[in-house]
Order: sequence, then C-alpha cells, then structure tokens
Amino acid sequence: MSDATDRPRRASVVDLTLAVLKREYLIFVRYPADAIGGIVVSTLFFALLFYGGQAFAAQALADSIEGLVVGYFLWTLSVGAYSSVSNDIGSEVQWGTLERHFMTPFGFAPVALAKGVAKVVRSFVTSGVILAIMLLVTGTTLQVPIVTVVIVAGLSILSVLGLGFAAGGLSVLYKRIGSWLGLLQFVFPVLIAAPAFDLGATRYLPLAQGSSLLQRAMLEGTRLWEFPPMELATLLAVAVVYVGGGYAVFHYATRRARRLGVLGDY
Amino acid sequence: MTSQQERSRSWSGASDGEADTTRERREGDGRAVEPAITVEGLTKQFGDGDDSVTAVDDISFTVESGSVVGLLGPNGAGKTTTIKCLLGMILPDAGSVQVAGVDVLADPRAAYRHVDAMLEGARNDYWRLTVRENLRYFATIGGVNPDDVADRHDTLLEQLDLADEADTAVRDLSRGMKQKVSLASVLATDADVVFLDEPTLGLDVESSLTLRSELRRIVAERGLTALVTSHDMDVIEDVCDRVVIVNDGEIVADDAVDGLLGGTDPGGFRIESPDLQGSALAALRDGFEVREVQERGDRTTVEVGTDSEGFYDLVDVLRTHGVHISSVETVASDLESAFLEVTRE
Repeated sequence: MSDATDRPRRASVVDLTLAVLKREYLIFVRYPADAIGGIVVSTLFFALLFYGGQAFAAQALADSIEGLVVGYFLWTLSVGAYSSVSNDIGSEVQWGTLERHFMTPFGFAPVALAKGVAKVVRSFVTSGVILAIMLLVTGTTLQVPIVTVVIVAGLSILSVLGLGFAAGGLSVLYKRIGSWLGLLQFVFPVLIAAPAFDLGATRYLPLAQGSSLLQRAMLEGTRLWEFPPMELATLLAVAVVYVGGGYAVFHYATRRARRLGVLGDY
Repeated sequence: MTSQQERSRSWSGASDGEADTTRERREGDGRAVEPAITVEGLTKQFGDGDDSVTAVDDISFTVESGSVVGLLGPNGAGKTTTIKCLLGMILPDAGSVQVAGVDVLADPRAAYRHVDAMLEGARNDYWRLTVRENLRYFATIGGVNPDDVADRHDTLLEQLDLADEADTAVRDLSRGMKQKVSLASVLATDADVVFLDEPTLGLDVESSLTLRSELRRIVAERGLTALVTSHDMDVIEDVCDRVVIVNDGEIVADDAVDGLLGGTDPGGFRIESPDLQGSALAALRDGFEVREVQERGDRTTVEVGTDSEGFYDLVDVLRTHGVHISSVETVASDLESAFLEVTRE
C-alpha cells in the first residue's frame, strides 16, 4: 500500500460538482441532438396549445397567454428535474456505471444529488431557450428579473427534484416501474395551475407556491425581496421538506436494494 | 519489477493443499502486516422459508497486501454475491468484511477510498466521453483530486498502450481497447485494492494475453492487491498467486496456484501400446480414471489420471496383463482439471 504522505489530495464536493457539471456539459455540446430534440418537441407541443387555443378560444387565450408561457416554462423545468434522477439511474444501470457511483467516498446519494443538480442546470438552459421561442411565437413580453426567477424557479423545482429522488430510489428497487413513475409529470400542470384558483393547502404541494411567486415575478415584476417573508419561507420549506423526504426515500430504497441484492441489476 | 514468483512468496497461505487463512504475514522486524481483505463468517441468504437460497454460507478468508487472488466457482456458486458483499453492494446476513483495515459494512465511504472495481467488463465507463475524460471523472468519483493524479493517468495510458487514443471517445474504440479503458479507469483512482470481474471477457487471444501481462505488471509496480474472477483458467493461472474456489456458497479450496496444480506431481500419464485392448483396458478402467482412449493403427493410447504413487500401481496392472509399453508421457496438471476435480467433490 502507498504511504499516506504519497497520497494525492482528496477530491472535494466542489471537485465532484464540477466533474458532474463538466460531464453534463460535454455530453450536451458533443451530442446536441438529444437537447435539440427535447427543445423541438416541447416547442411543438406549446405551439399546438397556442395555435389550438387561438382557433377555439382566442379571447380567453389572449387574456392568459403570459400565465400560460410562465406555467409552461416552469413545467419544462419541472419535467427535466423530475426525470433527472430516476432516468439517470436507469441509464447508469444500462451503461454499467451505476456501481462505480455507488462505490464512492462521497456516498451514493450525494453523488446522485450532484448529478441531479447538474441535470437541473441543463434544464435551465433548455427551458430558457424554450421560453425565448415561446415569447417570439406569441409576441408576448415578460419581465425576467434573473436573480428572482432563478431563485424562485430553482426552489420550486427542488421540490420536484425531491420527488425525482424518491422515484429514482424506487427504480433502484423495482427496475421496471420507470414508465409508471413518469406519468407523475402529467400531474405537474395541475400543481402549476393551482395559483389560478385558490392556493389554500395546495401551497404545501410541490410547485404550487413557486408557480404563484414566479407568475408574480415575471408578470408583475415583483422582486425577491418584495415578496412577503412568509411566502418565501413557505417556498423554502416546501423545497427543503420534499428534497429531504425524497433523499430519505432514496437512501432507504438503496439500503433495501442492498439487502435484497438487486442494486445494479437490470 | 516484482515477478509473479516473488509475489507468490509474500502470500501467507500454505501450498500443501490447505491454506492457513489465519496465519499473519510479518515484516522483517516481526510486526504483523494487516491483510488487505479480511472476510469472516460471511453469510447471505436470499428469500424466506422453503424458497430461500443460501448464496454464501459462512465464508472466511484473507487476502494479503500485494497479492493477486483468484475467486473461482461454477455459475451460481456464490462468487458474485461474495464480491458484492465485499464491496458493500449487498448487505450480508452475518459476518464482517474489512478492506484496508476499514469495516466495509460499518463505514463504506472510508473503505471506498481504498477500493475500486471493474464489474461490467468494457461497460464500466462512459462511452460518450473520451478516454482521458473518463479517467479524470472516475478519479474524482473515487475521491481523488484529478489534477493530482494526472501524471499517473499519463503513465497508465502509456502502459496500457492507450496514449494515442487519450482524446478519442470510448465508443469509437475496439472491444479490446474499451476493456483496457475500463481497467485504466479503475486504476485511475487511488485504490490499493481492486476487484476485477472477468477482466478479459470477450477478448480475442492476443488482446487477452496483452491485457494479462499489462495487468500483472501494473499490479506489481503499484503494489496493488487484486481479487480476480474469471472463467478463463489461463487468466487465473497467469495472473494470480492464489486461488479461492467456492461452490454452493462455501469455500471448497483455498491454495496457491502451484498447490492446486499439485506442485511437481503430474496430473496423469499417457501410455501407448499395441496391447491396450480387451481385459487390459477393462482393468485400467476398473482401477483408474481413464480420461481418453485413442486408437491409431495397431496402437492404442490411453490417458490415465493418477499421481506418482499411482503410477507404480498402473505399471503393475499393465505388467499383470502382459502389456508391452511403447511410450509413456506425463500429463501436466492444469487449473481447469483441478477446478473441475475440486468442484465435483
């Protein structure tokens, strides 16, 4: 064995984060077809909504187009965040690289979290492009206070990332349920639309509170510090609780998979 | 460079049939050297009740630092479960595993600073990244600052003849090269204990020979400890100092490779004679393991499995039946025969 003094420096959490971000970036630029394909499909789906709405309910659509654009932006972000962990685990199993991410001094869950965050960053880029295309297509103008949008949208989709973590954990245990778990993303529009009605207790569900604040930020130009502290606290608490809960489910599911001997099986 | 024979000498196991897995190796000053891997009472059962299967049944062994040990067994013998238990990927029902002095089950993160594994052959890294990007990425995941091991990566790429392909995406490489990249990415971390599952699976003969010799060299140069599984007995014989054979979840043999091969004792004899027919052949079949009978013209060649002691009995039988021997050859033992013999018992 090597002498301890000969050992190279240990990688820090920053090194880990940079490594997964760099990998995500390299795949993104080297194989852009996946990202472009996602942008095209999302844009076409939005165009269908927009032009279909114009044909059948032009006035109603005109009255709510800004809200639709913001909601759609948040939905594309949410889908990216939700699928990041669960899809990633499925892919790693197929590629044969899952075990390597398990055998890490950082711990499997922190590495999966770092990879999830990297996917969220990527989602911000693609959703930003989709947002720009939506604004061009609809001729709508929105305010985009960057700091407020990034923080509010980021905290909103953290709650979804938590759900993604739970789904990822379950897919470690039960390999074939990925497509069923994928159906959950179709519930997101309901949560995003919740502020259009009365938020009530739905504010404690993922996305709802964040959608409300994001609409106000992008439609009315409300800045982060102008929101009531309780509303921001709710947004933060929902993000922390869902990420924490999802992380705990992931951790438990991984341990159960180790007990059953199914970790990495496919 | 340390030769295989030199490494063999550092192993603690006896070579006289039964390995003493509890004996400690000692430094020149008498201090005990901690084994790189210590497994005690490892047990794992899957399922409950009548449907339960005991995959690993109270297995104990040690692997000394700097040695290369082969873990062999037929399909379903419990090799994979054992390896995954050693790596903390499967939680055993009982027993303990220590790697580099760290309890893998109690503190897996600390253990993973010392361990890496090639479990999926060529599918062990990202095919869409380049060779060098894979080495840096998995070094980081393995807990090492990639800049600090950049020189080591260059050396590794040279040693594995991958330097010219360092900036090529893995997907564009041949199967043999992909396998080398897998090995390189495992060695790219600061691990001193590596687990290699079927490291030459799917390779042609030449690629397999190259990978084996490079593996031997790197393991010796870096003083690594390796636990290797393979169905290719030539790989095990070529690379390993010692072999642990498991069957039905239990260790059925634990010995140095030479010990398993029976040392200098031949595995059998090939006898050629014009008289090896009828009652003579029947007597041989009654008293010995007759492996092969070939008739060529008026001569018959019979391969009989027996050791030096049995040879005298063999000659007695041949003399009794009036067999005139044209030629006698010894048949060297090979690991495959030894493996089959041990797992059939």
